[in-house]
Amino acid sequence: MDAKVVIENLWVKFEGEQGNVQALEDISFSVNEGEFLTILGPSGCGKSTLIRVIAGFQSLEKGKIFLGKKQVAEPGPDRIMVFQEFDQLFPWRTVIGNITYALKVNGLDKTKREAKANKYLEMVNLQEFARAFPHQLSGGMKQRAAIARSLALNPEILLMDEPFGSLDAQTRSILQAELVRIWQKVGSTIIFITHNIQEAILLGDRVMVMSSHPGTIKEIVDVEIKRPRLPETPEFMKLWHKLYTLLETKRFGENGRNNVLPGKD
Amino acid sequence: MQLIKKVFENKFLRQLVFIVGLLSVWQIVVSTGKYHELILPSLGSIWTALIESITSGEMWDHTAYSFYLIGQALGIGIVLAFSLTALSMVSPLFADFVKTITTIFHPLPGVALLPIALMWFGIGEKSIIFILVHSIIWPLILNTYTGFRSVSRTQLEVGRNIGLKGLRLVSSVMVPSAFPYILTGLKISWSNSWRSLVAAEMIFGASGGKGGLGWWIYQKRFFLKTPSVFAALFVIILIGILVENVVFAQLEKQTVQRWGMVIRREK
Ligand SMILES: Nc1ncnc2c1ncn2[C@@H]1O[C@H](COP(=O)(O)OP(=O)(O)OP(=O)(O)O)[C@@H](O)[C@H]1O
Ligand SMILES: [Mg+2]
Repeated sequence: MDAKVVIENLWVKFEGEQGNVQALEDISFSVNEGEFLTILGPSGCGKSTLIRVIAGFQSLEKGKIFLGKKQVAEPGPDRIMVFQEFDQLFPWRTVIGNITYALKVNGLDKTKREAKANKYLEMVNLQEFARAFPHQLSGGMKQRAAIARSLALNPEILLMDEPFGSLDAQTRSILQAELVRIWQKVGSTIIFITHNIQEAILLGDRVMVMSSHPGTIKEIVDVEIKRPRLPETPEFMKLWHKLYTLLETKRFGENGRNNVLPGKD
Repeated sequence: MQLIKKVFENKFLRQLVFIVGLLSVWQIVVSTGKYHELILPSLGSIWTALIESITSGEMWDHTAYSFYLIGQALGIGIVLAFSLTALSMVSPLFADFVKTITTIFHPLPGVALLPIALMWFGIGEKSIIFILVHSIIWPLILNTYTGFRSVSRTQLEVGRNIGLKGLRLVSSVMVPSAFPYILTGLKISWSNSWRSLVAAEMIFGASGGKGGLGWWIYQKRFFLKTPSVFAALFVIILIGILVENVVFAQLEKQTVQRWGMVIRREK
């Protein structure tokens, strides 16, 4: 398989008044075309920083990011980000307007914009709310609309930073299933961040576990469980415990920091 | 009792009761006969003066001229304020410059610039517009700038992500996102300029035989037509109320309220 995204020796440092934070230290990995990579790690380990660097929102200290053969630095519609925040839709545009506007900026003509927007709204089951304004939607619906907008732009990679992190457990599991269905249908390449172990296993072809201070890759684990995956199966539970242990050792971290236990929500 | 309670529950009726109350007090004071008609005219004569000035077309002409002046000033002011603020968002150095001049000029009342305006532009339209523009741009710049600074980081990043840059990012994301602030700025600018307009007209008078409401008031006072002075004041108040409660309220309803960006106003 071809690598879609290659990260080479990435370092990111934040310089602040309370001293410097080495948010990422020598991160290298790649994501294959059509692959679903989940990134799992405790709070503050640099997950958001990593995805923001890939998206081009965060400057890096050293290292290289390749999208296919080309090196990238600035933000662009070839790497579309889905945020955790519910305010990522433009409140002054309707749901469909949010999508068609993004397509307009990218030079699509009017009839194509409408057709494409409708197609993706249907995919996320939001056709009925096409003319609604974002403030009239629930949190889960907003995230769906944001996913529809991202998919419509047909990016080379979808970067998702805990998009379901602020949702209740039930909505979250519905959206997880939908995301897998859409991904299988569209064949997009996805990097998905979470601090929830179950979510990481449910979604990912591989799970990249990170540890913090400084943010490094601890291990990349293949998920060899057939889809659809069920959390009750022994193989699922076995992997869950493996990831849990990988994360837990961090609790008695080298620098004695007492990190919050991940994955318990 | 029940009726009174009902009347006071409705905001509009409540205000109507207050206004009728005030007018009655006025009429009572007039009817004591202690004050000369030239000082405190009766409601009846003010009303007659108002109707007369409306039917003769006089009131329309002066109001139209005032609007013509303020319209020009608003046009120039809005374009200036937006250009300065938008460029500030693109260049930090320019932002510092705009911040500095705003700090200097914002506290300066428009009327204080009258002598300068006289020297630079002479008596006439230009001087008035100069003063109005001054009273429009600074509050608009301040509010728009605050609005731009409070734009959500996520929305800005979404804008950049879908391919917006520079001034296009400003106009497509920052302006609508900051619209609640911009609207506040526009309201302040309007009321500032409307007040300055009346004051400036009184001093600069008419040019080429034309004059606005302020000038009309001044003229009527000169000829001791007190009821007409009050009639003009009434029109000025009415316009102020209409613009604030109809024009701006509608604008707010069609934009920031529709978009769910502000909490809906209580009854
Ligand atoms: N803008 C910034 N300035 C300074 N330090 C920052 C900044 N952004 C992040 N950091 C620091 O970098 C580290 C990694 O932060 P990051 O947001 O990437 O963590 P995360 O893994 O996404 O955490 P969470 O799961 O809580 O979202 C943290 O120690 C954080 O304090
Ligand atoms: Mg994060």
